[in-house]
Amino acid sequence: MPSPAKLSLWNRKLHYYAGLYFLFFLWLFVFTGLLLNHPGWSFAEFWPKRQQSVLERQIQPPRAGTDLDQARDLMRQLSIVGEIDWTVTRSDPKEFDFRVTRPGRIFEIHADFNQRRAIVQRTGLNAWGVLHILHTFTGVRLGDNRNQRDWALTTVWALAMDAVAAGVILMVLSGIYMWYGLIRKRPLGAAALALGTLTCLWFAIGLKLWTSS
Amino acid sequence: MMVFSRTRFYPIVRDLHLYFGLLISPFVLVFAFSVFFLVHAWLPRATGGSVSARHTATGLRLPLNLDKLEIRQRVEALRPVLDQLGVAGEIYSIRHVPREHRLVITVSVPGRETAIDLDYEQNIAAVAARETGLAGALVYLHKSPGPHLAAIRGNWAMTQIWRFLADASAYVVLFLSISGIYLWTVLRAERTVGLVLMVLGAASFFGMVYALAR
Repeated sequence: MPSPAKLSLWNRKLHYYAGLYFLFFLWLFVFTGLLLNHPGWSFAEFWPKRQQSVLERQIQPPRAGTDLDQARDLMRQLSIVGEIDWTVTRSDPKEFDFRVTRPGRIFEIHADFNQRRAIVQRTGLNAWGVLHILHTFTGVRLGDNRNQRDWALTTVWALAMDAVAAGVILMVLSGIYMWYGLIRKRPLGAAALALGTLTCLWFAIGLKLWTSS
Repeated sequence: MMVFSRTRFYPIVRDLHLYFGLLISPFVLVFAFSVFFLVHAWLPRATGGSVSARHTATGLRLPLNLDKLEIRQRVEALRPVLDQLGVAGEIYSIRHVPREHRLVITVSVPGRETAIDLDYEQNIAAVAARETGLAGALVYLHKSPGPHLAAIRGNWAMTQIWRFLADASAYVVLFLSISGIYLWTVLRAERTVGLVLMVLGAASFFGMVYALAR
């Protein structure tokens, strides 16, 4: 069991080491969080400024297999890399539609196995679009069981998001621990912490109870 | 001048860092914990959620031309209808099914979603509420108000207050990160390790962003 002095020292180190390591990740998520909450900010517009192009390519129909196997085969032939999004339910085994996304680029692919051709609509986004997508780029969505992470880099990014969240939680807890050690600053700190906690509890739990009554 | 800076500026920044940090730490926890649910598309209580309350209301007093209004006007016109139904919250979405004279309205509060199927010809509505639990509430707060349906978003006072609080949290986190860098630079003994970690963090961040977006 470390002594209180040692624990305090390492707690402080953890607080600023974690803060420094995650600094750029934190800035990204905080800044893009603001952008997502203010879609009207014209300086960060990206969708109206997107660049689109369409190309048609000859393909070899993929071997029979799962949709994922066939999509990967087509992506290899078309030199497209990214996270697969299933956008439509497949009704004809000779036709195949799916979307591939990566920050900054979206590919809508329509393959016709009878004609041995694929039409690819490519949408390119500006730097704001890249930032926007990075905030939400998880490869999965709540309530959507069909889409799973299928690109290694999406998994890496999702793990980075987990790490940032865990790092931020550690920083909050270590900060509270440091404050608690400052006896003279306890009253005002307790008031600030209580105000924040009560406000959050009101929104997370209280609103539902209030609107039920 | 340097002496003035050190003796006056440092304690002020340190105290602001401390008290602002404590004030927004619960908000930061809301955003951080909900990340795990969003990144893994998983909620402890089933995402489908069971319907906890269902009722039908008849003889509703509906505003005129509800089917012809623009979306923002329609939201405002529906508020008294929600009051008659005893449903409060943010009108999250409205889907118009003209052929069937129906409006399908979703009303959200953190932890609950209410679906209202309103027949504006018959003046009746079926109301079904679904509990999403504490995790669902955190996820809702994380995404609120968000970029979707910006024309109608913030139609409930509580959403507007949360929007202000979420924005304030973001600005305060930016302040905390900058003041934190200042406080760290004062600690000479920690400069080297801190700098190495910051460079490593920057390298992993820009490396990942480059790999994803190139």
